[in-house]
Amino acid sequence: VHTTSSFRALSYGFAVHADDAGLGRRVDDLFAALRDPGPIEHCYTLTSVMSPSAPVGGRSCASARVDVTRDGHLVAECQRAPDALGWLLWDVNRSAAEASGQHLLFHAGAVQADRSGVLLAGPSGSGKSTLCAALALAGLAYLSDELVALDLDTGWLLPYPKPITLKPGPGISALRDLDPARSDALTEPGAGADEERHVPVGDGGVGRIAGPCAPSFVVLPCYQPGAPTTLTSLTQTQAFMQLATNIVNFKKLGDAAIVALGALVARCECAALTMSDLREARSLVLDFVKAPVLEVDRGR
Amino acid sequence: VDAEWPDRNSVPRRRPGSAGVELDDNLAVYDDVGQHLILLNAGAAAVWERCDGTTSFRDLVAGLTRAHSGESPSAIEEDVWRTVRQLAEMGLVDDAGEDSTPG
Repeated sequence: VHTTSSFRALSYGFAVHADDAGLGRRVDDLFAALRDPGPIEHCYTLTSVMSPSAPVGGRSCASARVDVTRDGHLVAECQRAPDALGWLLWDVNRSAAEASGQHLLFHAGAVQADRSGVLLAGPSGSGKSTLCAALALAGLAYLSDELVALDLDTGWLLPYPKPITLKPGPGISALRDLDPARSDALTEPGAGADEERHVPVGDGGVGRIAGPCAPSFVVLPCYQPGAPTTLTSLTQTQAFMQLATNIVNFKKLGDAAIVALGALVARCECAALTMSDLREARSLVLDFVKAPVLEVDRGR
Repeated sequence: VDAEWPDRNSVPRRRPGSAGVELDDNLAVYDDVGQHLILLNAGAAAVWERCDGTTSFRDLVAGLTRAHSGESPSAIEEDVWRTVRQLAEMGLVDDAGEDSTPG
């Protein structure tokens, strides 16, 4: 049995026990950027379960599944280890959002350019994880690709450096084209070409990890295959209304949410990014946030 | 909301504790009853901000008429009446003389 380090996802502390040591080490690698010496409040188990299956070719055989539980309650029964990691990550995200409701939570990614926080907000499929990964490969520091917390007292973005989740599709090959030397970091053991993959961040993964930072920019990406890649400034009203649709806990916070959101758009430059070409989109964002050119080959 | 409300003696009041956020020329307000985010244009925002629970509808109209002296007072009163009703229907305004939304 492999017991992982203790981790903290925003306000949610957890650890994982896996009876498959290899799977446990993979969890340790994936969540390395979330290591935290604080108390373990919740415990996941990944348990391999052998079950007999129908005879094949006259021979009986057994197949293994992986059960994911949290605090003894079943989260999912998975046919394959990558699926178990996906469910684990899903439940950690969900639980982190639930435990961190004192913050304004966005369905968003975020990176840090120099000292400026950049919020990348959008619904599922908008390309925010791919864009986060592209910006992290360019040297910007990483906060999150899916759930961003804004501290209501300070107005700062808080890091939740979960592994980057990349959906199957052209985004992965576009990322490899951006940085062929690090394409190994974009692979996940056991994941097929048509499956989502989870990319570790920080040491041994993609990008470096940001600390809490004041937001200065908001980008609202929208992946549109075939459309020209453009970045368009937004008024405060436009940014506010679009960001509001990406707040996870609006109803819980009520007026406090709109006050914090108003302060956010007042202090940030805001833009909508329509993207089909990842390299071009990354260049536009880097120009917008005035990031120094680090590892980006913009001339290609 | 009563069909006749507000009358000239009514005292419209913003929902206690509600916050408005200025955005460009607009004002965003959260309706925690219907749990809607409502964007008011400049005209509606001016009415909402004057619904302070002490100013009567008559005085509210008079103030806005002075601020827009080139426009017809009766047209302003009709606009303000319609706006106050809409704000009440959205849960953003009630009557200071009532415990809850009029009607």
